[in-house]
Amino acid sequence: MAAIFRPSANLMATSVLLLGWFVLLGLLALWWYWPRTDYAQHLGAAMPQPVPFSHEHHVAGLGIDCRFCHSSVEQSANAGLPATHVCMTCHSQVWTNAALLAPVRESLARNEPITWRRVADVPDYVYFNHRIHIAKGVGCQSCHGPIAGMALTYKAQPLTMEFCLSCHRNPGPQLRPRSALFDTEWQRGRDTPSPAQLLQQYHVPDRDLTDCSLCHR
Amino acid sequence: MSIAGETLRADAPVIGPNLNLESMTDRICRIALRERAFAWWWIAFIPSAALTLLLIVAIGYLFYAGIGIWGVNWPVMWGFAILCYVWWIAIASGGTIISALFFLVHAEWRTSINRIAESMMLFGAAAAGIYPVLHLGRPWLFYWLFFYPNTMTLWPQFRSPLLWDFWALFTYVFASVLFWYAGLLPDLASVRDRAEKGLKQRIYGIFAMGFRGSSGQWRHLRALYGVMAAIMTPVVVSIHSIVGLDFAGAATTGWHVTQFPPFFVCGALLSGFAIVLLLIIPLRKLLNLEDMVTGRHIGVLAKLLLTSSLLLAYAYLMDAFSACYGGNGGDLALLAARLHGEYAPVYWGAVLFNVLLPQLLWSRKLRLHTPTLMLLSLGVVIGMWLERYLIVVTSLSRPTLVSAWGAFHPTFWDWATLAGTVGLFLSGILLSVRFVPVVAMHEMRALILFPPARSE
Amino acid sequence: MSPLNNRTPLWRSLEEAGGDPGLLARATQEFPMLARALADPVNRREVLKLMAACIAWSGLAGCDSKFGDALVPPVRMPPNVVPGRPNFFATAQVLGGYAQGIVVEHVMGRPLKVAGNPHHPASLGATDAYAQALPLDFYDPDRAAQVCFKGNPSYRAAFDAALATERARLKASDGAGLKILTGNITSPCLLDQIESLLRAYPEATWVSWEPLSRTNAQNGTRQIYGTPLDTIAHLDRADIVLAFDADLLSTDPGRLRYARDLASRRNPARGQMNRIYAVESTPTLLGSVADHRFIAEPSDVEHIVAWLLDAVRSQSSPPAPAGTRPPWMAALIEDLKGARGKVLIHAGAQHSAAVHAQVHLMNESLLARNATYTLIDAQGPAPTSSPEQLLLDMHAGKVTHLLMLDTNPAYSAPFSWDFAAALKSVPFSVSLARHLDETAQKTTWFVPLAHSWESWGDARAYDASVSILQPQSLPLYDGLSAAEVVDRYLQTQSRSSEAIVKDFWRARLSGDFAQAFDAALAKGVLADTAARPATVEPRPAAVHPSGPEKSDNPEAPHATAISLVFRADPSLWDGRFANNPWLQELPRPLAKDVWGNPLRISPALAEQHHLETGDVVLLKVGEASVTSPVIVLPGQAPHTITALLGSGRSGAGRVGDQVGVNFHPFTSLADAVRLEKTAAHTDVATTVHHNLLTAPSEQVLRHQDLSEFLSGQPEASPPAATLYETHPQGPAQWAMSIDLNACIGCNACVVACQAENNIPVVGKAQVLREREMHWLRIDRYLAGDASAPESFFQPVLCMHCEQAPCENVCPVGATVHDAEGLNVMVYNRCVGTRFCSNNCPYKVRRFNFDSFAREQHRPRESWNPEVTVRARGVMEKCSYCIQRIAAARIEADRDSKPIGKVTTACEAACPTRAFTFGNLADPESAVLARKRSPLDFAMLSDEATKPRTTYEAKVRNPNPKLKGLSA
Repeated sequence: MAAIFRPSANLMATSVLLLGWFVLLGLLALWWYWPRTDYAQHLGAAMPQPVPFSHEHHVAGLGIDCRFCHSSVEQSANAGLPATHVCMTCHSQVWTNAALLAPVRESLARNEPITWRRVADVPDYVYFNHRIHIAKGVGCQSCHGPIAGMALTYKAQPLTMEFCLSCHRNPGPQLRPRSALFDTEWQRGRDTPSPAQLLQQYHVPDRDLTDCSLCHR
Repeated sequence: MSIAGETLRADAPVIGPNLNLESMTDRICRIALRERAFAWWWIAFIPSAALTLLLIVAIGYLFYAGIGIWGVNWPVMWGFAILCYVWWIAIASGGTIISALFFLVHAEWRTSINRIAESMMLFGAAAAGIYPVLHLGRPWLFYWLFFYPNTMTLWPQFRSPLLWDFWALFTYVFASVLFWYAGLLPDLASVRDRAEKGLKQRIYGIFAMGFRGSSGQWRHLRALYGVMAAIMTPVVVSIHSIVGLDFAGAATTGWHVTQFPPFFVCGALLSGFAIVLLLIIPLRKLLNLEDMVTGRHIGVLAKLLLTSSLLLAYAYLMDAFSACYGGNGGDLALLAARLHGEYAPVYWGAVLFNVLLPQLLWSRKLRLHTPTLMLLSLGVVIGMWLERYLIVVTSLSRPTLVSAWGAFHPTFWDWATLAGTVGLFLSGILLSVRFVPVVAMHEMRALILFPPARSE
Repeated sequence: MSPLNNRTPLWRSLEEAGGDPGLLARATQEFPMLARALADPVNRREVLKLMAACIAWSGLAGCDSKFGDALVPPVRMPPNVVPGRPNFFATAQVLGGYAQGIVVEHVMGRPLKVAGNPHHPASLGATDAYAQALPLDFYDPDRAAQVCFKGNPSYRAAFDAALATERARLKASDGAGLKILTGNITSPCLLDQIESLLRAYPEATWVSWEPLSRTNAQNGTRQIYGTPLDTIAHLDRADIVLAFDADLLSTDPGRLRYARDLASRRNPARGQMNRIYAVESTPTLLGSVADHRFIAEPSDVEHIVAWLLDAVRSQSSPPAPAGTRPPWMAALIEDLKGARGKVLIHAGAQHSAAVHAQVHLMNESLLARNATYTLIDAQGPAPTSSPEQLLLDMHAGKVTHLLMLDTNPAYSAPFSWDFAAALKSVPFSVSLARHLDETAQKTTWFVPLAHSWESWGDARAYDASVSILQPQSLPLYDGLSAAEVVDRYLQTQSRSSEAIVKDFWRARLSGDFAQAFDAALAKGVLADTAARPATVEPRPAAVHPSGPEKSDNPEAPHATAISLVFRADPSLWDGRFANNPWLQELPRPLAKDVWGNPLRISPALAEQHHLETGDVVLLKVGEASVTSPVIVLPGQAPHTITALLGSGRSGAGRVGDQVGVNFHPFTSLADAVRLEKTAAHTDVATTVHHNLLTAPSEQVLRHQDLSEFLSGQPEASPPAATLYETHPQGPAQWAMSIDLNACIGCNACVVACQAENNIPVVGKAQVLREREMHWLRIDRYLAGDASAPESFFQPVLCMHCEQAPCENVCPVGATVHDAEGLNVMVYNRCVGTRFCSNNCPYKVRRFNFDSFAREQHRPRESWNPEVTVRARGVMEKCSYCIQRIAAARIEADRDSKPIGKVTTACEAACPTRAFTFGNLADPESAVLARKRSPLDFAMLSDEATKPRTTYEAKVRNPNPKLKGLSA
C-alpha cells in the first residue's frame, strides 16, 4: 500500500514533539527567571521626578543627615517625605531662582503639594515599619542601597519577600552600631562588633522574625 | 428505534458466531469513516453542544462576577462545585476500573466495551477537572496549589487534603489521556489504512503516529498498555480515596468518618457501571454491535452493578452506625435530620436509587431486560448525585454550633454549570463515537483468533 | 443598599457632591464613567454612587499597586502630626440632648475611630453602638452640602440677605409670629442663646420636640416632689433591682454608666450578686439579663405597679395572691421589703407620669432615695410652648417665621402628616438639618447643619456635667451649627461657633480662661459641673397619687385587646441614624433582624392570626392604618405588638430611604388596635438562619444558678490530651476571656469591630443569602417556653485555637499560627477554597462572596489604613485586632521592653467590661486572672482545639421562693 507521508514526516513528527518539550521547559525557565530580572524588579532605573533631586549632592556633597528631610523615620512607620517648606528652609537662601527648583517655589506659593513618584515600594498588604528597623540597628543602605551615591534616586534592592526574609532569617550581617545608623559611608570594620554581639545588643533574637503576622495583617 | 422486547441470553458467547477479522474491522472502521453522520447522532449532538455553550457562558459569568452568583453561603461554603466534582470523578473512575482492572485480570468480556469505558473516563475526568478551579474564590490563582517558581520562598501547605486532591486529579487526568491514547494507536492505524486518500487519511495518519504494526511496535505497545493499565488501577483507587479524604480529613460534622475513602471507591464503581450500561445499551443497537456486545456483557455488568450497590449499602449502614456509636451530639442531630428531618427526601432518595432499586437485579430476567437496566442505571446516576449532595451540603448546614445552622439554595448558575458539564460529557462521547473506533479492534482480533474456552 | 429615592429632586446628589463646581470637573477627569453618567440626566443621581465606587476602586487598586505611584508630602506639615501615627482628641456625642464623652482617633488628620472617654461620667471609657458608628455618619456622602430655597439650590449669602430683612421685620413686631422649634437641648451655650433670643423677641415662643422624650418621668417627679427632676441610678449599690419596661441599658442618658454599675454586681466570682426582677411587655436588654422576667401586658404593668405600691406601704404581711394578681407578687414583695435601702425600682421613660409617681413613692417607702439613686433638678429651662400649640398656631396662620434647629417633626412627630401640611401656611420657615430630610424638603429655607465633628459646641451629660465639643476636622460640607444660626438672629455680625462657645465660657470659667478651657478640652469634661442631689421631700398631697386605678377594685380588667407599644430602634435610635449602613445592618439584640423594622408579635398572637415571620399584616389604629411585615419574638407579651421607631425614612439618604415602616405617626393614637393578615409575604432578613428554640448545650454555653455555683465545686476542665506538638512560645501569648454575666447584648462591640477592621456591610439581599460579614457576632439563645423564654447572649469571635482546625486544611497556608498564639489570616495568600470555614467548629470565618468592599457607601478616606481592605474571593476573620498588637509590639521592641497592655476594639467599646484581652505570659495580666475564675470554660472543648478565647459561665440569681415559676 502506498505510503501516505514522505520519510521526512518521521523527522518532522519527532522534532515537533521535541520542540514541544523544549518550549514547555523554556516557559518554565522564563517563569522562574523573569521576576528575578532587574527590569521586572525596576532595579537601577531612575524615573522622572518633578524635581531632579540628587541625594548624591545633598547627602555625600553637603552631608545633610537623612533625618533632616525624612524626619519621622525614627518615630513612625513612614520615614516621611519633606514638606515643601523644609526644602525652602535652604532654598529660600541658596539657588533662589534656579529653574530646576521652580516647582518647589510654586508649590509653596500656590500652596499645592509636589507630587513625587515612589521609588522604594512594597505592596499595600505589607506593613513595613521604618521605626522598628532603625531602632534595631538596620541602616538605610540595607534596603535603599548606596543612596549617597545616587545622582537620581533609583530602586537598588529587589524588596521582594525573598529579600525581606533573607534578612529576617539572619539579621546579624545587616546590623550596625547605633552610632553608624545614618552614616552613609559606613563599612563593617575591624573594630565593629560582630553580628552576634550586635544581635544580642539589640535583643533581636527575642522574637521569631518570620511570622506572617509580623508584616501582613 | 426501540430496544424493548429483545431478550438476551447471559450464556451468549462474547462474540457473535459469524464475526471474522475482516467484517469486524470493516464495520468498526466504517463507523469512523462515514461521510455523513447518522441522523440520531445529530439529534443527540446538537442539544449536547448547546449545553456545552451554556457551560462556557456560565464559566464566563462566574469569572466576571465571582462565586457569589452561586448558592454557597455561610455556613454552607461548599456547594455544587464540589459535589458535582465528586460525582463526575466517580463516573470517570468507574470507566477506568472496567478498562484497566479487568484488563489486568483478563476478563474477556471487557474487550468490546473498554473503548467506551475509556472515553467515559476521559470526558468524565474532563467534566470533573474544571470544577476544582471554578470552585476557588480567586480561580486565577489556582496554580498556588502547586509548587511554582516564586520570589516569596513560599510553598503549598502539604497537610491539606485539598492539596493532595489537586495533585491526584492532575495525575489522574494526565494518565487517563495517555491510557486512552495508547489503546487507540493501532486502531487509528487501521482506520488510516482503510481511509481513502485525502484529508481523513492524513489526519488519522498523523494521530496514528506512524504505527505500522511491526512486531517491535506491537511489543512496545503491549508493554506500554499493560504498564498504563497497571498504573491506572491504583491511581483510580488513590484519586477517589483522596477525594474521600477531603471530607474524612476534616473535623466537620458528618465528614470526619474513617470509612469515607473506601466508601467513595464503592460509589465510583456503582456510578461507573451504571453509566457504561447507559451508554452501551443504546449504542450496540444504533451501531448494530449486537454480536460484539452480547447478553454476556450486559449480564456481567448488571451483576457488577448489583454487587457494588450492596457494597454501598454496607457503607450507608456503617455511616449511620458510626454516628450512633460515636454518640457525638452533632453527628446524631445530623443523622436525625437525614432520617426523618428536612433532608429525609435526599437521604431516602439516595437509598432508594443506589440500594433498593438495584436489588431487582437479583432476578436473572431483569438483569437481561435492557429497558429496566437503562432505568435502574439512570436511577443510580441520580442517586449518586443525591448522595454527594447529602455528604457535602447537609453536613455543612448542620454544624455542631446550633447558632450557625443554615440552609442552602442552589441558584440558576449552579444548575447551569451542572447541565453544562453534562453537555460537555455527552458531546465528548458523541464525538469519540463519531470519529474514533468505538471498539478496540486490535483486542477484538485477539479474541476472534483465540476465542476463550466457554465456561459452561 | 436601599434603592435611590426617586422622589428626590434630580439636582440633589450633584450639588451635594461637595458644593463647589470645580469638584465635578476634577471628578470627571478622574473618573471617566462620571462623564457618561452626567451625559444622561436620568443617571445624574447616580453620580455620587459612581464616585464612591471609583474611590473605593482606587482604594483597592492599592492591593497590587503599580510601581512608581504618587507620593505627596504636604506643603507645610501641620503641628503635632507625625505621618502614620494617630492623634486623639476628646469630644462628646449628643443623643436626645445628652452628652456621652468620646475620644476620636485621627490618622493624618482624618477622624477614623471612636473610643469612650474614661474621664467622662457617662462613658467611663465605653461607648454605645451609635458612637462607634459616628465615622460613617461623618463621612456620609449623602449629607446636605448647600443652602436651598424652596427646594432649589441657593447660597449662604442669599439666606443671610433674606434673614436680614426678616430680622428687621421681626424686630419691629417684637418677634410676633416667630417660633423656634428644637429637640431636647442641654447645651448651656445654646440654651443661653435661645434665652437671649427670647429676650430680644419678647413675642417669640420656643417649642421643644424630642421623639424619645423623658417628660413623663419629669412630670412623675413633679406630682410627687412638686418640681421636675431627673433620676440618677446607682445600680452598683442596689441588691434588688425591680424594673418595669426598663430602658436603663438602652435609651437612658446614663445607659453606659448604668451598664457598668450593673455588671459590677453580676459575677459571683468577683463579688456579691444582685437580683434583677423585670416586669415588661416586650423584651428589653435588662429583662434578658434579669434573674426573673415577668411578662405582662402594658395595662397589667400599671395595675401591678399600683398593687405593689399598696403592698409595699402596708405594714402588714403582704396580701395573699388573689384573683388576677400574678402568683409571683408575694415573694417579690417579701424580697423588696427584706432589702430596704438596697432596693431600686425603675420604670421606663415611656410609662405614664402616674406610673413614675407611684414608682417614686415605692422607692421612698423602701428608703431607696439617696441610697440606690439620687434626684437632680431637671436640666435647662422649660420651653415656652408645646408642639400641639405650635401646630394650632401654624394652622391659624399665627406663625410667620418658624426656625427649626436639628429636628425633623415632619418625620418623627405623631402629628407629622399634619405638620407637613401646616408648614405650607408658614411664609418663612427655616430648617437646619444634616440631610435634606422630610421636614427640610418642605421649608422655604434649608440650611445644612454642620456635623458635631465640624463645629464647636457643648452639652451636659445625664448627671449634668458639661463637655465641650470640639471640631475633629475642617468642614467637609458648608454647614452651620445651631448656635451659629441662632446667632444670626441676634446680631448682624455673625460669629463662628468657636467664638460663640468660647465667649460663653470665658464669662463663666474661673481662673485663667485659656488654661481652664484647654484643660476641659483635653479631659473632655468640665471639672465638677455634675449636679448635686436635689434636696426635695414628697409633698403630703402626693401620698395618694392619681393612679390609673385604685387597688380597692381588685378585679382589674385583664388585657385581651391588642395593645401597641413603641420602642426606639435599638440600632437607629429615633431614625436619625437611618442612613448609616453599619447600624442598618446591626442585628437587633433579641430578634436579630436587620434592614427594617418588622412588628414584633408574640408566638401566641402569631398562632391566633396564623402568622409567621415575614407575613405582612395590616395594622389599624382607629382610622390610621399601615402594612408591615411581622417577626415572631418569643418573650413578647401575648397581646402586645411592639413597633420600632426609626425606619421608614424618605429623606434620610440613599441608604436609609424606603427601609421599613415609619410608626412615629401612630405614637399618639389611643384608639383600639386591630391586626389583619394580608396575602403578602416579604423576607425578613435576620442573622439567625433557623428558627428554633433550644437551650444551648453545656458544650456551647454553660449556665447555672447562684445556689449551684455556691454549693458546687468548680469542675476544673482537664487539659485536653494531644498528639500534636504545641506551637513555639513567643514573648507574649494573647488570649481573651468573655464574661457572659456582663454581656447585655448591646452590640457596641459589633460596630466597634466593624469600624476598626474595615468590615463591609453586605446589604439586605446578601444577608438573606446568609452572607453577613461581622467578625464578632453575638449569638442569642432562647431556651424554654416560647411564651417566656430564658435568653442568653454569647459574643462569638475567632477563638484563636492553639490546635486550630482551619490551619491544616488550607492548601496554600493562608491561615497559620504565629509565635504569640495568634491564628493569623494572610489575605493576599488566600485563594478562597473555603475549607478553613468548613473546618471551623465555631464558624467565625467570613467569606467575601462578592466585592463587598468596593460597594461600600463611604469614601476611601474613611477606611482604617492599618488594616488591609479585603477583595472578592478572600476569607477573613477576627485577628484580635492584630494592628493594635503590632503597634504595641513595635513600641515595646523599640526599647526592648516587655509588651504592655493591648486593648482590642471590642474590649474598648464594651460598657460592661465583658471582654478582657491580654497577655497570658504576663503573670500580672487581667486576662490570666479571669481565666483562673471558677466559671471559666472553653466553647466546644470536646473538639480539643484549645481555644485562646474562653468564657465565664452565666450565673443567674433567682429567688428560691419562685422556683419553676418563670426564668
